[in-house]
Amino acid sequence: MLRRAVLQTFRQGLAQSFFKRNAVSLSETTVTHQPIETSDEADEKSVSKQKPGDESGNTVVVAPPEFRFMYPEFLPDPAMERRNRLKEKLERIDMLQRRSVVEIPEFYTGSVMAVTVADANSPNKFARFVGICIQRGGSGLRAWFILRNVVDKQGVEILYEMYCPLIQKIEVLRLERRLDESLLYLRDALPEYSTFPLDMEPERRLNNSVVPINPLKVKLRPRPWLERWERQNLQGVEDLNLPQRFYDKAEKVAKPWEKYDLMLQYRKTIPAEEQEKIFADVHSQLQQQEFKRKIRRRRGIDNEQ
Amino acid sequence: MLSIVFHKRRRLVRRLFFNHEQVRTMSRVKRRTTHPPYWHVLKNNQRQDEKISSDNLRFVREVIQDKYKNKSPIKGSDLDIEKKEWDPKTKRSGVIARNIGVQHMWEKDGKKVVCTVLHVLDNHVIRYVPPEEYAKSIIGAKVFRNRKPLGCLVVGAEAANPDRFTRQYCSLFNEVGLLPKKRLARFIVTPNAVLPPCTPLTAGHFVVGQAVDVYGKTIDYGFQGVVKRWGFKGGPASHGATKFHRRGGTIGTGRDKARVWPGQKMPGHMGSERRFCRGLKIVRINMKYNVIYVKGTVPGPTNSIVQIFDTLLPRRKFTEAPPHPTYFPPEDGTLPQEDIWDSNMHVFGSPSIPV
Repeated sequence: MLRRAVLQTFRQGLAQSFFKRNAVSLSETTVTHQPIETSDEADEKSVSKQKPGDESGNTVVVAPPEFRFMYPEFLPDPAMERRNRLKEKLERIDMLQRRSVVEIPEFYTGSVMAVTVADANSPNKFARFVGICIQRGGSGLRAWFILRNVVDKQGVEILYEMYCPLIQKIEVLRLERRLDESLLYLRDALPEYSTFPLDMEPERRLNNSVVPINPLKVKLRPRPWLERWERQNLQGVEDLNLPQRFYDKAEKVAKPWEKYDLMLQYRKTIPAEEQEKIFADVHSQLQQQEFKRKIRRRRGIDNEQ
Repeated sequence: MLSIVFHKRRRLVRRLFFNHEQVRTMSRVKRRTTHPPYWHVLKNNQRQDEKISSDNLRFVREVIQDKYKNKSPIKGSDLDIEKKEWDPKTKRSGVIARNIGVQHMWEKDGKKVVCTVLHVLDNHVIRYVPPEEYAKSIIGAKVFRNRKPLGCLVVGAEAANPDRFTRQYCSLFNEVGLLPKKRLARFIVTPNAVLPPCTPLTAGHFVVGQAVDVYGKTIDYGFQGVVKRWGFKGGPASHGATKFHRRGGTIGTGRDKARVWPGQKMPGHMGSERRFCRGLKIVRINMKYNVIYVKGTVPGPTNSIVQIFDTLLPRRKFTEAPPHPTYFPPEDGTLPQEDIWDSNMHVFGSPSIPV
């Protein structure tokens, strides 16, 4: 079953995703560097990352471990009753086919993105929406993400299916991560935290190799809220300043034993051996696509010049 | 019967009477058994703790390999199929497949479509039962009680190690010389669509765009209450309701008949029943992996076996001849197209839909 060593790196990976706060001054929104590598560095690393050759002498190419955070939709739904290897393989082929046509960049919850969709009802037939990614989910061709923005003082959220053929372009304007995996609390936050200009330009990153984590602490509006945020152990929210009874009830209702529940984690995730196989499968194709895109981009720049 | 006596007044009086007659007859039909019919041979081996040495085990495996030597793929010209013409009244064979899951695909106008992925297993025709003989069998007599009898093709899928089956079950496959199959199915065929034994059936048997019927056994929910099983509304969640949240309530009037009618909806076993999904359209066929994508959902859970055959629905039947009696890959060495899509579907490798 699960190898111990791999399980440990697994849990490290999980811990990294629930990032612990650094000693950074809260008044400045400085970005900290974390060892989460982007696709560029990952590609360079992957060439060298080869398993020490097995008995046959052939080297096995293994995708870098960051792939499970960069492309989480390639992993199937862990529910065992509905898993089938052939179907997952066919779905992955279809996903890669779609990716060869449209660039679906690496993004995380907290990144600001712009999506252009073909829309019959809009004047120039394409609708472009800019927003911050507050949640992403689904697996395979059903993968989706939600973008949030405040337009004319009205909060707007749009759920996009990543592999829908109506999507013409997905751009990541600001690639960064936040302290939480789900930013649904932005619905109860002050509107300035969800407002992004619709004509925002893509930002160039200072350091291309790591994805920064924004340690921003968001201020919530006064209650009533849509959810009981005090029960959810949110890192990216300022002190809620609630009466003590809320925190007492939260403690009563909490399940502190779940973090020790190994089997629960096992059931929610795909085993490491399978993940390696899946990403090794997918890795070479993604690399090729990235390479072709780079060439096209360079040719495009040359042509312009 | 109430419905006949009052049929003239029915237009004036609103339908107050529930047709108990039909429900009563159907409630007595036994829909599930844990054992196969008595005329089936015993299938699975009673696993005995045979303390067999590794040498003997190896010998047994060699014997099995010799007996069921891998034959070369059968071509259309090898089998002596009498060239019979297709006509609209022909009934072709069906195919046994496994429901491997559900995938989302999109049409050319951007509309999302939920498609079920069906993996056609290694089907082979086991035997053909001619119409006269089939009409004399127990099932055949029931099926063809008032109509002209048709033939029956027995098709098997999913070859397995003969060790797990009994000798009587393996003897069913002796004539054909194939490894015994885990699953057998009967398909009603007209005599002009007969296939000789040992014919392989693949995903190419079907045509993209045609309508198929899929038979399967529904998901087994076990013993379920009245709310999930029959869609009752139950009782109020609050307002003082004492122990009455998911119960059925009244089960009879007391006046008329003064007893509970048979067929009264109550908690019980739900699911694991034979059902047909009719008229599902095939949107994509992958010839390399033998996989069919069908628009809609089929009865049964993921990884369950289903049977697929050409639809019975009169308006969705074939107008042109399909691969008759079945599909054989071309013998002149040209490879068939690997992935065939319906004209209405958006192919994933093609550019985004501009509208």
